[in-house]
Amino acid sequence: MELADRITARAAGRPRALAGALGVLGLVGGIAALGLLLPVSEALIVEDAVGVSVFALATNLLLGYGGLVSFGQAAFYASGAYLVTLGWRRWDWSFWLALALAPFLGAALALPIGLIALRTRKLYFALLTLAFSQLFFVLAEKQFTFTGGDDGSFVKFWATEPRHGFLLVLAVAAVSALALWWIVSSPFGLVLRATRENRERMEALGVNVFAHQLAAFMISGAFCSVAGVLFVVYSQTSYPTLLQWTTSGEPVIMAVVGGMFAFLGPVIGAFVYTLGHHYLIQHTTHWQLILGAVLLAIVLLRPDGLAGLLQLRRRKA
Amino acid sequence: MTVVLDAQGLGKRFGSFHAVDGVDLAVEEGAIHSVIGPNGAGKTTLFRLLTGVLTPTSGTLVFRGERTEGKRPHAIARRGLVQSFQMTSIFPRLTALESVEAAIVARERRALDCVTRFHRSTAGEARELLDSVGLGEVGQLRADTLSHGDQRALDIALALATRPSLLLLDEPTAGMSPTETHRIRGLVSELARGRGLTVLFSEHDMDVVFGISDRVTVLHEGRVIAEGSVADVQADPQVMAVYLGSAEVAA
Repeated sequence: MELADRITARAAGRPRALAGALGVLGLVGGIAALGLLLPVSEALIVEDAVGVSVFALATNLLLGYGGLVSFGQAAFYASGAYLVTLGWRRWDWSFWLALALAPFLGAALALPIGLIALRTRKLYFALLTLAFSQLFFVLAEKQFTFTGGDDGSFVKFWATEPRHGFLLVLAVAAVSALALWWIVSSPFGLVLRATRENRERMEALGVNVFAHQLAAFMISGAFCSVAGVLFVVYSQTSYPTLLQWTTSGEPVIMAVVGGMFAFLGPVIGAFVYTLGHHYLIQHTTHWQLILGAVLLAIVLLRPDGLAGLLQLRRRKA
Repeated sequence: MTVVLDAQGLGKRFGSFHAVDGVDLAVEEGAIHSVIGPNGAGKTTLFRLLTGVLTPTSGTLVFRGERTEGKRPHAIARRGLVQSFQMTSIFPRLTALESVEAAIVARERRALDCVTRFHRSTAGEARELLDSVGLGEVGQLRADTLSHGDQRALDIALALATRPSLLLLDEPTAGMSPTETHRIRGLVSELARGRGLTVLFSEHDMDVVFGISDRVTVLHEGRVIAEGSVADVQADPQVMAVYLGSAEVAA
C-alpha cells in the first residue's frame, strides 16, 4: 500500500512541479517582454514592482512563514541601497561588488538586532524592530558628511540603457525568489511554519526555537538588502527616507494584500501596490484612503489575501 | 530493572505555596508508570519540572544518568524525555503528515537545514507513525480539522517521532468520550508493550490507570502519599482517605 501511495504521490507531484516551473518561466518571460515593449517610463514602474517584490517576499519569510511581524525591515533594505551608493562614491566599488556583499551585510545587521528583538514576542518584537530601524534613520540623517544626509547619495551607472537595468533587476529578483522558494520548501521552512503554529510544541520536540527564528531573521535581512540594491538600479539614489517606518510597513502591506500564505502572494501584492499607487496618484490625491479601504477589506474578508481570492492553487498555510 | 528517570526530593515553591513538595519518583525502563491524585495535587507542575518547563526550587533530577534540573526544555527533549500535552498541542494549520515530518526533522537535528531537501525516508517514516496511531487515512488533512481523538493521537505521534526513551503523557484521556478513551488506552498500552517504550502518565480515569499501569504513584497536596503496584495502591488506607467517596478507588 505504501509503495502504491508513493507511486501516486509521484505521479501527482510531477506534472504539478512541471506546471509550476512552466508557470514561473512564463511569468518571468512575460515581465521581461513588458520591460522591453512598454515605453521606458512605464517599464520603470514595472521594474519598481519587480524590485519591491523581493522586499515583500523576504519580509514574508518572517510574516507568513514565521508568524513574526517585523516593522524594521527598512533597516536591511536601506543597508543594501547605501552599500551601492556609498561604496561607489567613497571607495569606488563596482556595482557587482556591492551586489555580492549586500546579502552578507543584511544578514550581519540582522544578527545583533535579532539577538535582542527575538527575545520578545509579538507587539514587543514589532516595536523593537521598529526602534532599531528608526535608530538607523536618525544615524543616516545626522551623518551628513558620510551619507549625504537628506540630500541622499546619487550614483551613476554602467546601466545607462534603462532596458538593461530592467533585465538586471528581473534576473536578480528571479534568482532571489527561487532561492527563497528553495528555503521555504526545505526542512528549515517546515519547522519555521510549525513554530509559527505552536512554538512551545516545537521546543518540546527538541528544536532551539530562538536560534531557528534568528536564522530566519538573518535570511530575511539578507534578501531585503538585495532588494535595496535593486532599488538603486532604478532610482540611482539612496536617502534616509528609505529607513522610515513607512518603508518597513510597505512590504508588510504588500504581503497582506497579496496573501501571506501563498509563496507568490507578496509578489501579487507588490504589483498591485506599486501599479495601484502609480495610477491612482494621477487621478486622486487620496490614494492612501483607497489603499486603507482595500487593506481593511482584505484583513476582514480574506485574511489569505488576493492569492486566496484568486485561488491560483490550493495551498497549505 | 534500570531506573530511567529518578527524582529525589523534588520541589517547586510559588511564593509560600508548595505546589510540589519533596517528591521522590523512580521510573523503571519499559514500565507504564502512572501518577494520580486529586485536582491540585501537583501532577501538572511535577510534569513541568520533569520536562524543564519549570525549574525546581529544590531536589535533584536524573534522567538516563544525567542531571537535568535547570536544563532548557529542548535540551531535555533531545535527551529523550518527551511530553505529550494535557491540552492537545498540535500545529493547527499544518497537515498531519507535515506535522510528523517536522517532528522527525527535529529529531534528526536538521531543523536549521535550509539547503538540502527532505530525506526520502522522512515521508515514509511519517506515514508509518501515522499508521501506528491509527491516522493512516488522514495524513493530508489539516490538523485543526481532525476530531478530538485524532488530534490526541497526532499529539502522541509527534512525541513518538522523536524516538523518546521516556514518553510523558499528561491526562491523555482528559475530556474524551468513552470510545475515544478506550482507543487512547489501547494505544498507550500497545506502545509500551509493543515498542518497549517507557511511559509516565497522569490520569483521572481510574479504569485506565488500574487497567494498564505497572506502577502507580499517588500525589496529594504536592507530596507522595503512596507508591507501588496497582494492588498496593488500591489497598492503601491513606489513598482511600484522600479519595474518600470516590467509588472507583474504593472498589
